[in-house]
Amino acid sequence: MTFLPFLISGLGIGAVYALSGVGLVVLFRATGVLNFAFGAIGALGAHVAWQLLEWRLPLVVAVVVAVAVATLVSFLYGRLLAPLLSHRDTVVRAVGTLALALVLIAVMGVVWGELPRRLQFPTDQMFLTLFGVRLTYTRILALLLAVIMVGAITALLSRTRLGLDMRALANDRDLSAILGVRIRQTETAAWVITGVFAGLAGLLLGDLVRLQGTFLTFLVIPAIAAAILGQLRSLWMTAIGGLSIGIAEAVLTPIAAISPYRAAAPFVIALIAVTILGSTAQAALKDR
Amino acid sequence: MRHHLAGLAAGLALFLISVGSANAAASCGVDGSDAASGEPIVIGAITGKTGPDDFSNSTKAAKAYFDCLNAKGGIHGRPVKYLVEDDQWNPEIAAQLAAKLVNDEKAVLMVGNSSFVECGANAEFYKKSGIIAIAGVGVPRECFFAGSYATTNAGPRVSMLGAMGYALDQLKAKSAVCIGPNIPNVGTWSCDGVMLLAKEKGLAAETILMDPGTADSTSTILQAAASKPDVIILGLPKGVTIPLLTAAEEQGLNQTIKFLSAASAYDLSVPGTIGPSWDGNFFVNMEFNDLEATTPDNQNWLAVMDEYGQSSDPRDTFAQAGYLAARIAEKALMSLDPKDITRESVSAAIRQVKGFSSDIFCAPWYFGDDQARHNANSTTRMAVSEGGKWKVISGCSPSPDPELADIRAFEKSAGLAP
Repeated sequence: MTFLPFLISGLGIGAVYALSGVGLVVLFRATGVLNFAFGAIGALGAHVAWQLLEWRLPLVVAVVVAVAVATLVSFLYGRLLAPLLSHRDTVVRAVGTLALALVLIAVMGVVWGELPRRLQFPTDQMFLTLFGVRLTYTRILALLLAVIMVGAITALLSRTRLGLDMRALANDRDLSAILGVRIRQTETAAWVITGVFAGLAGLLLGDLVRLQGTFLTFLVIPAIAAAILGQLRSLWMTAIGGLSIGIAEAVLTPIAAISPYRAAAPFVIALIAVTILGSTAQAALKDR
Repeated sequence: MRHHLAGLAAGLALFLISVGSANAAASCGVDGSDAASGEPIVIGAITGKTGPDDFSNSTKAAKAYFDCLNAKGGIHGRPVKYLVEDDQWNPEIAAQLAAKLVNDEKAVLMVGNSSFVECGANAEFYKKSGIIAIAGVGVPRECFFAGSYATTNAGPRVSMLGAMGYALDQLKAKSAVCIGPNIPNVGTWSCDGVMLLAKEKGLAAETILMDPGTADSTSTILQAAASKPDVIILGLPKGVTIPLLTAAEEQGLNQTIKFLSAASAYDLSVPGTIGPSWDGNFFVNMEFNDLEATTPDNQNWLAVMDEYGQSSDPRDTFAQAGYLAARIAEKALMSLDPKDITRESVSAAIRQVKGFSSDIFCAPWYFGDDQARHNANSTTRMAVSEGGKWKVISGCSPSPDPELADIRAFEKSAGLAP
C-alpha cells in the first residue's frame, strides 16, 4: 500500500494544527500563558457559525461572526481575568485557562448539546484529485491560511511597534516594564490575535473533523505538541511541527499493527519532543 | 379586557389542540388503581451516565415506567424502589456499585442496566449472588455470554450481522469492509462476526479497527476504500459514524460504495445531519421497532415517557430497551404473591418468562432457563436514510450471525421457534 494518499489526507488537519500551534505560541511568547482554552474558544465560534447557517444567514456573516465571537471571548478573558493571575507561576496561568475551557464546554453543552452536527462550507464540494485522493478546497484553504497567518504574524513581530513590544515582553518582562512597554495593552493585543487564530482554526476543524464541543476542545493537545516542537518560540518550526503531526497521524493508517492506535500520534510526538527539547523549553519558561 | 379575553381564548384553543394531539394515556400496572403505598420492592440498575458519553437513556425510560407503575397500584400495592447508579464507565466503580445495590440495598432484581463496562465487571457477581439482571442495553461480548444477564437489545454484533445479512441478500454485496472501535470485546467481536459470515458465504472481507477519538476520519475511509469493497459496515457510536460518512462523501465514495451501520447510528437526527447525498446509500439496522411506529406498545412507551419521564429524556432505541426491560420485570413480579417477593422468588419468576410479546420487539422475548448465555433479541429490521428521515425497508429477519447457533438450537428445543 502506498503512503501518498494518506499524506494528502493528513495535510488539511496538519495545516489546522499548525495554525492552532502558532496561535498558542504568539500568546505564550507575549504573555507567558499556555492557553488550554484555545480549542474550546474555537469550538464556540464554530457552533455559532453552525447556528447562523442554520438560520439561513449568509456564509460570510457566519464566518465573520464566528471569528468575532472567538476573538471577543479571548479578549474578555485576556483583559479581565488573565491579569489577575499575571504574577503567578506559568502553571497557575495555564490552569486558569482550563477553567475557561470548562465553562465554555458547559455553555456549548447547554445550548447545543453533544449531538454530532455537520458544519459545511461550499469549498467542501470543490476539489483537486491527487494520487487518487480528493483534496478539497477547504483543506487547500487551511494550508494557505496557515502560511498567510504565520507570514503575517512574523511581519507584525518584526516590523511594527506592537511586534517590538511583544518581542520585548517575550525576552524579559520586568525589564520591558521598566523600559516603558505598555504591558497590559501588549498582552491584550496578543489575546486578540490568539482569539482570531482560535476562531479560524475552530471553523476549519468543525468542518474537517467534527462539530462537537468537547471533542474540539481536546484538539488543543496536538496544537500544544506542535508548539512544543517549536519550543514555544519559533513560529515556523511550530507550523512545520503541526503539519508533521497531522501527516504522521494519517500515514500511520496503512500500517496494520499501529493503525488502531494512530490517534495517539500527537501525544507520543509531544512526549518525545518534551523529552528531547525539555531543557530548552525549561529555559524558555525561566524567562517568564 | 377584550385583549385579555382574546388571549384566554387563544390559550384555551392551544390547550385543546395540545390535548387532542397528545398520545393516549400511559398504560402500566393495573389501570384504575390508586398509587402504591406498601413496602417498597428494591430494584437496582447500573448505567454509564458520566464518562465519554451519557449512556443512561435506558434507565431513564425504565424509571419513567416504574414511576407510572407506582402511580397505578405498583406490584399488587407494593411500589418499586428503583435505584439507579452511575458507573462512570469505570469497571471498578461498577463492581462497587453492584455490591452496594445487591448486598447493602438488598435489591431483588436488576433492571434496565446499560453500560460499556458493567457486564465484564459484574456478570459473575450477579450469578454468585443469585440475582438476575434484565438489562436494557448490552454492548461488549460479556453481556451476551453470562448466565444471569439477559438484555432486551440485540447487541452490536447481532445488529451488525443483521446489516451484513441485508447487504448479502438485498444489495448483493460480493466484498465488505468492517469498521469497528479498537475497544476490546466490542470492535473485534463484532467485526470477527462479519469476517466469519463472509468466509461462510465466500465473500472477500477485511476488518479495520479505529480509535473512536481520532480526528482524522479521511484516512480511515481511504484505508477502507482501498480494497474497493461493495459495502462498508460500521459498528461505531453515531458521533464517530457521522464524521466517517462526511469524509466518505468528501471522497465521493457515497456514489460507489453502500454504507451500512449497526443500530448505534439509528437516531432520528442522523439522516438530517448527513444530508441528501446519502439518500438511499446509508442503511442502519434496527434492534427494535421504528421509533415513530404507531403500534400500541410503541405508542404506550412514548406516552409513558411524556407523562412520567422528563421532556429532555431521549426517545431513542436505548430508551425502548429500558422500557421493555421494566415491562418484563413488571410481568414477572405481578405473577408473585406480594407477601413473598424475595430475590429467590423473583429470579424463579424471571426464569419462567417466555413469549413476552411487544410490538417493539420483532419476536417474543424469553429468558432461557438454565442457559449459559442469553440473546433473545436476535431478529432485526433495516432502514435507509431518505429525505432527512429513516425509511424502514425490511420486515423482521433473523440475524445471520453464525455464533447464534446455540441460541437458535435452544429456541428450537424449547419450542420457542419453529
